[in-house]
Amino acid sequence: MPELGRAALVVTLGLSTYALVAGAAAAYLGRRRLALSAQNALVAAFFSTLVASGVLLSALLRHDFSFTYVARTTSAALPTGYTISAFWGGQKRTLLLWLLVLTGFGALAVRLNRGWARDLIVWVVPVFGAVAVFFSFLVVAVASPFAVQPAPADGAGMTPSLQNPYMLAHPPLLYLGYVGLTVPFAFAIAALLSGRTDERWLIATRRWTLVAWTALGIGQLLGAHWAYVEVGWGGYYAWDPVENAALMPWLAATAFLHSVMIQEKRGMLRVWNVLLVMLAFSLSLFGTFLTRSGVVNSIHSFTQSSIGPWFLAFIALTVAVSLALLFRRLPQLRSPTRLESPVSREAAFLYNNLLLLALCLTILWGVVYPLLSEAVRGEAVVLGRSYFDFFLRVFGLPLLLLMGIGPLIAWRKASLRSLVTTFRWPTAVALATGVVLLLLGAGSSVPGLVTYTFAAFVAATIVMEFARGTRARKALGAATWPGAFHSLISRNRRRYGGYVVHAAIVLLAIGIAGSSAFDTVAEAKLRPGESMDVGKYTLAYRSLDERQVENATEIRATLGVSRGDRDLGTLEAGKNAYTIEQQVSNEVGIRSDRLTGEDLFVIAEQIDPDGAVYFRVFVKPLVNLIWIAGLVFVLGSAIALWPDAREQRRLVARAREVGVPATR
Amino acid sequence: MARKASPARLVIALSVAALLAVFLLYTSIAGGGNPSIAPSELAGRTGTVQLAGLVVGPVTGDAHAGGLRFRLRDIGGESATRIPVRYTGSVPDLFKAGRHIVLDGRLRNGTFVAEPGSMITKCPSKYAPKRSGDSA
Repeated sequence: MPELGRAALVVTLGLSTYALVAGAAAAYLGRRRLALSAQNALVAAFFSTLVASGVLLSALLRHDFSFTYVARTTSAALPTGYTISAFWGGQKRTLLLWLLVLTGFGALAVRLNRGWARDLIVWVVPVFGAVAVFFSFLVVAVASPFAVQPAPADGAGMTPSLQNPYMLAHPPLLYLGYVGLTVPFAFAIAALLSGRTDERWLIATRRWTLVAWTALGIGQLLGAHWAYVEVGWGGYYAWDPVENAALMPWLAATAFLHSVMIQEKRGMLRVWNVLLVMLAFSLSLFGTFLTRSGVVNSIHSFTQSSIGPWFLAFIALTVAVSLALLFRRLPQLRSPTRLESPVSREAAFLYNNLLLLALCLTILWGVVYPLLSEAVRGEAVVLGRSYFDFFLRVFGLPLLLLMGIGPLIAWRKASLRSLVTTFRWPTAVALATGVVLLLLGAGSSVPGLVTYTFAAFVAATIVMEFARGTRARKALGAATWPGAFHSLISRNRRRYGGYVVHAAIVLLAIGIAGSSAFDTVAEAKLRPGESMDVGKYTLAYRSLDERQVENATEIRATLGVSRGDRDLGTLEAGKNAYTIEQQVSNEVGIRSDRLTGEDLFVIAEQIDPDGAVYFRVFVKPLVNLIWIAGLVFVLGSAIALWPDAREQRRLVARAREVGVPATR
Repeated sequence: MARKASPARLVIALSVAALLAVFLLYTSIAGGGNPSIAPSELAGRTGTVQLAGLVVGPVTGDAHAGGLRFRLRDIGGESATRIPVRYTGSVPDLFKAGRHIVLDGRLRNGTFVAEPGSMITKCPSKYAPKRSGDSA
């Protein structure tokens, strides 16, 4: 069986090389049949990668410990779901997953767009081929997932904290995001290579970018939730390099999603967009590199590996080639229009882009700083939490405010009068919210108060937009209010989907501010029968129990929770001792208040043999809004992504306008 | 049409300047972070550092009363240095003798006194190959 897997990967390497070489030759020489065969090679590469993946999956499910990787990541007692998740758990698997998704996306993107953007597609194929050559080379020659060994009696098992449902979905979503960003990159490079630098590469890839961006966003939120409930230190994001690895491409993609609108509507920011998409793709490569090479000290760095130098070389090559191409095509990318006023929608979008990029680059700086300082000064200097928190505030808060301003301000040039009319109500709402919160005592954290005030501003603009639009549709003849609302959204899914996503970001900001700026912590060592107070809660430690489950021993402290005179039931917190893996994991107790979104979060930090337990307890106001934001985010993305017949007609008309040459 | 300077360029230039200013302001106020070093490099240092090392037993004491005590040595290399450590605060799940950990703190009278709650354990290598270059 391993031979079949290895052979399939060699075939993938061969096919990708063919897609690269033949595809490039076909595009350069204008050979149509050769271009078609290169396309088919890309599709075939997907199927051979699928075969290799099937071999691995079956080895995992059969618990075939003669596969080195199966033995290292799983054990016979591991539940089936987690056995499958081991497929993307380790380095080699994730590279295989990259390759699988890459060839799959490549084949699909080519197939979907070859009708109306054929002149681009001939160049897209070799670009995909080049990326696929890199990844298939890695899995064939550098880090093969099909290494074999004499089979041990049982595998080493999986790290307990990864035995969590979130780990089934979190890594694949991140990889869908990382790889998905290859599509807009490939089209951008194809546009540069072919010299067809009109807007079609943006239009062809808009949905791909959205899908990748959504997957990255959701993947990160799931990771945050996993950290919150499973890693159990009381937080959800620690600015760990590997977390940042996913955040950076997401920020770059967010900037890109916004600035493409400016190019589509006004033909501006062409060079900027190409640069952003290059940055997003390079950062997704860099993210994979960070996650999988263990280059930075990090709780996530699973491995010191041999793939690091290859990755760095490939990233360097990607950046160099893309920049060289960009410079060659610079004259064609001159924008026909220019910014007319620094107070206009174009300008607001530009500020948004600059802020997103500034945030992205400061995070990048924080991530690479230990490496740079080690190279230059001989010792690694680590930038801590405060660095990242500081820049999140400095760049994040203005971004939040702009989220309310950008979509409403007039194009070209906004007059003072229009500004007053548009923003009078949101400003009033924001100021009122600020004052009320200040009176309620939210002044204890200035950044928190500012966040709430800005969030109120943005929320007011969003509500206003929906209300005004719905009223207009009703006036134009919609029979009912819900009908008017529906027709409003379906006539401009992108815009109103965008507003819903903005609402999600508002919820996210409120949740983050509430749980980080206004939280309460208390710790105490309790014996059974003793109790402690945290905020408005009283916790009474009742008993300590031990029970045996399939692969672990669970120790749980039971606490009675009350607030004032009200009994809120019991909460369990404790530890699991995993037998095969010989590890212990914290199992926190969380009580969510459905009404206020507040969490009571209990960690049993230390359990003494005599039954005394050292508890660490957090009260985290509004933290549940973060997870609700995730749902709203998906809803908004889904609205924006929903197929739209009217838009499709527009696209076809646009392609005809540009004139696709018939010769190829 | 005469080509006058685009406001876009001005905006970008001003933003870059603002970014640099914020950056300088930050580094001048907050300093540049802590150096990350190995136990063998600790001797003679007085400031706060981030110490990365391998836990050497026996692990004694109570992290929530008086402090957890153990020693740290270099993760790789031949150095025989063992630094005594006193730590209070949350102990991560994965902490035990033989694990790689990272601590913030400073040297006081020959003992590395860690900042409360600063301990981070690195994931065990079980999840991945044991040594670099292990690939074939």
